[in-house]
Amino acid sequence: MDLIRLREVTKEYRKRAVLSNVNLTIEEGDIFGVIGQSGSGKTTLLNLIAGFIEPTDGEVVYYSEGNSKEKNLHRNFSQIKNKIGYTPQHNSLYPKLTVKENLWHFGRLYKMDKQTLQANIRNLLNFTHLTDFQDYLAEHLSGGMQKRLDLSCSLIHKPRLLILDEPTSDLDPVLQKEIIHLLQEVNKQGVTIIIASHHLEGVETICNKVAIIHQGKVHSHGLLDDLRKPYLKDHFTIRVGSVEQKQQLINKLQTLPIQKIVDKGRTLVIYPTNIQETMRSLLQIVKEDNLYLHNLDMRRPSLNEIFEKITTEATK
Amino acid sequence: MAAIWLLTKKNIKLLIRARWSALIIIFAPLLLILLLGLSYNTSNSFGIIVGVYAPQFTEDVNAFANLLKEEQFIVKEYHDNINSCVDDIKEGAVHTCISLPENLHVEDNTQKEITFYVDPSRINLVWMVQETVKGKFNLKSQEISQSLTQDILSRVSKTKEGLSLKQEEVGTIKTKTSSVSETTGTVKNSLSSLDLQASTTTYDLGDLNNLTTILTASKEKLGLAITAVKDANLDENKSKEILAALHSASGSLDKTISSFGEGGTGQAILNLQKDLDTAKAKLVAASSAVSTSTQTLSSSAATLSELTTALETLKNSLTEMQSQLDALKVTDANTITSPFVTKIEKVSGEKTYLNYLFPALLVLVIMFSTLLLGTTLVMIEKHSPAFVRNFFVPVSKFTFIMSIYFTNLVMIIIQILVILGISLFFMKDALGSLGLVALVLFIGASVFTFIGMVIGYMFMSEETGVLASISLGSVLLLFSGVILPLEAVPPLIRTIAGFNPFVLTEKLVREVFLFGVPLSQNIVQLSILVGYAVILFVVILILESLLHKHLVGRFMHRHHVFHRQREKRLKNI
Repeated sequence: MDLIRLREVTKEYRKRAVLSNVNLTIEEGDIFGVIGQSGSGKTTLLNLIAGFIEPTDGEVVYYSEGNSKEKNLHRNFSQIKNKIGYTPQHNSLYPKLTVKENLWHFGRLYKMDKQTLQANIRNLLNFTHLTDFQDYLAEHLSGGMQKRLDLSCSLIHKPRLLILDEPTSDLDPVLQKEIIHLLQEVNKQGVTIIIASHHLEGVETICNKVAIIHQGKVHSHGLLDDLRKPYLKDHFTIRVGSVEQKQQLINKLQTLPIQKIVDKGRTLVIYPTNIQETMRSLLQIVKEDNLYLHNLDMRRPSLNEIFEKITTEATK
Repeated sequence: MAAIWLLTKKNIKLLIRARWSALIIIFAPLLLILLLGLSYNTSNSFGIIVGVYAPQFTEDVNAFANLLKEEQFIVKEYHDNINSCVDDIKEGAVHTCISLPENLHVEDNTQKEITFYVDPSRINLVWMVQETVKGKFNLKSQEISQSLTQDILSRVSKTKEGLSLKQEEVGTIKTKTSSVSETTGTVKNSLSSLDLQASTTTYDLGDLNNLTTILTASKEKLGLAITAVKDANLDENKSKEILAALHSASGSLDKTISSFGEGGTGQAILNLQKDLDTAKAKLVAASSAVSTSTQTLSSSAATLSELTTALETLKNSLTEMQSQLDALKVTDANTITSPFVTKIEKVSGEKTYLNYLFPALLVLVIMFSTLLLGTTLVMIEKHSPAFVRNFFVPVSKFTFIMSIYFTNLVMIIIQILVILGISLFFMKDALGSLGLVALVLFIGASVFTFIGMVIGYMFMSEETGVLASISLGSVLLLFSGVILPLEAVPPLIRTIAGFNPFVLTEKLVREVFLFGVPLSQNIVQLSILVGYAVILFVVILILESLLHKHLVGRFMHRHHVFHRQREKRLKNI
């Protein structure tokens, strides 16, 4: 079921188009990633969906819960805004309030009754592992904790849509993983998530749908697997332990339906006619001959690769 | 040195390129000095209203009032009593009251008392009024003193002239007196030279005495004969004949007796004749001397008569001079030099300087606190990391604005309580008025808070906002009459400055605190303040509505740019 739809959305600043004719649909339950280079327009797109700015042309449409009737998001923003949770790039907290006070403050502003709010706070503190730090001032928390608290504040009123701008920026890999995990959990509870990020690995891990923006235009969007299809690889690489083993392996591989083997020292680039069958046979040979492979790279194209290809093509 | 210059250049560039900071830094002082220059570049006192009270508005009093009007004072006349004028000072309708005597003529040795009634809480105005009005009095005093001295001098001069004239007369009198004196001396000599010595010769009058005795005895016998005739029964005719004969004899005897013969008495009579001649000669001489003396004395009498007349004239002249001098009623040196004595009465009773300054100080503290607090609170909210989150909460703008206002108000109430509480330590008698003072301060603080909030919404950076608040506070302070009296600025600027919330609040606090004037008497000022608060609140609502999205956009953009730059830095590392 659709939640947000962008129709021919254009945003101009001083007659310079930052976004042009964007058409996107975000369905309920999606974790939608918006990726692009710095200055590509992803934050503008996010701001349009969050209601901060209005489009110069086109419209952003919101679909109410259990109701297929569409509403212009900007015209009906006062009714829609409490269905949105927003976590900006920086932490959006009161540093001088404690963890609990921050949550209580925003919960009360959303006019939640005290009992429900208390229960929500308790759950969120457990969920984000901040229970032990509930009486700490926000400014005294570590970066990761602050991000988790920020996320909690965005979720305190149980929004339908959670928008995150660069949620993992400025975080170390462990914290990035932690946040990604949290977001997955949030999504499992039925919250649609839109993430703008240039941290493509994270997006690839968490998002089911992605939109790639380049120079203000959406060049590709949809399910991640659908985005990959045109860029699937026709080869794989293996790195062997010794020269002897390499020769042994080459001899065995020649019996398989392989078009070409490129020898790059200890690394072999193999172009099979049927990649899945060849891979299966290769694993059989390695097992039977007790060969040692340092590395076997048979990846599907990563989001990063897809993104690079798309942006390179677009630039050309 | 080069590094310092480089850094300084950079700082200046940064300041100038931050548009609002540049405007505030460069134009705020320019504007301030321009306003001050336009307003205070004059030595006139444009709007001082002087209340003049006199039991009667005589020519003197009116002349003095005109003198004040010439100095561009506005003169308000009070005919009934001075109290209504004093009440007007308390209400601010009049700046000073002058109680004048009926006239300004000094008629005796008593100095004329002139009383100034001033509001000591407006020290600068009191100073200005006293300086100017007292100057007028000094002028008048000098004029009167001069006239009194001139009067004395002219009288002294007249007396001197009179004395000079009379000096000649006195000379004449002196000459005449010495002439009379000489004449009298001559008379004295003439009279003392008269010989009035009588002869001491004695005459023997025994024979004369015997003859007299015989004749007397004969006469007695004739008397007896007369008696015997009478007793004898003689014919009447005969008797008469005898008696006539007897009487004739008696008469003859008498004549004899009286002219007794020259025999023994002749010599005596000759001597007597000689003496008589000598005496006669002396008497003639005396008579001649007396005649001469009489003439001389007659002349002296005439001279003395003239002298009497001259002395009478002199006496009259002296009397005239004395009466002229007596006509001088002002003879006391103190009264002549200072015919007026000025007295200054404070309309608020005796209080300390703190009392007088307290209203202005209080409003000053409240103004700057609330202006800055209002600006700072809005800035804190605008720059708070959580600002963007408030965009989504279902809370109206009105509520947000009110929350900032109430936050400010709580702070200000605490501040007011602290200030008033501490002030009680110094001014124990002020307890009664503190409630109303707190109410006025509350309204004033609300106005200043809203002004501060408007500034907070208008400016982007906290520094610029604070600078703008301080600048505005300074303008309000400079045009409040606390530092320089507003009465010294041109009427138009003064009228505008009259609407300065600082002026309105300070006036209300002063009147409530110092004079105990009920707020109902200042309902206009109070209404203006409340009106300001309402208008400013509406302005804030409009600003918030107009600027909110813009503010959010800027906020997002700022953070976005910050993160992009950070990422670039990290990539470079």
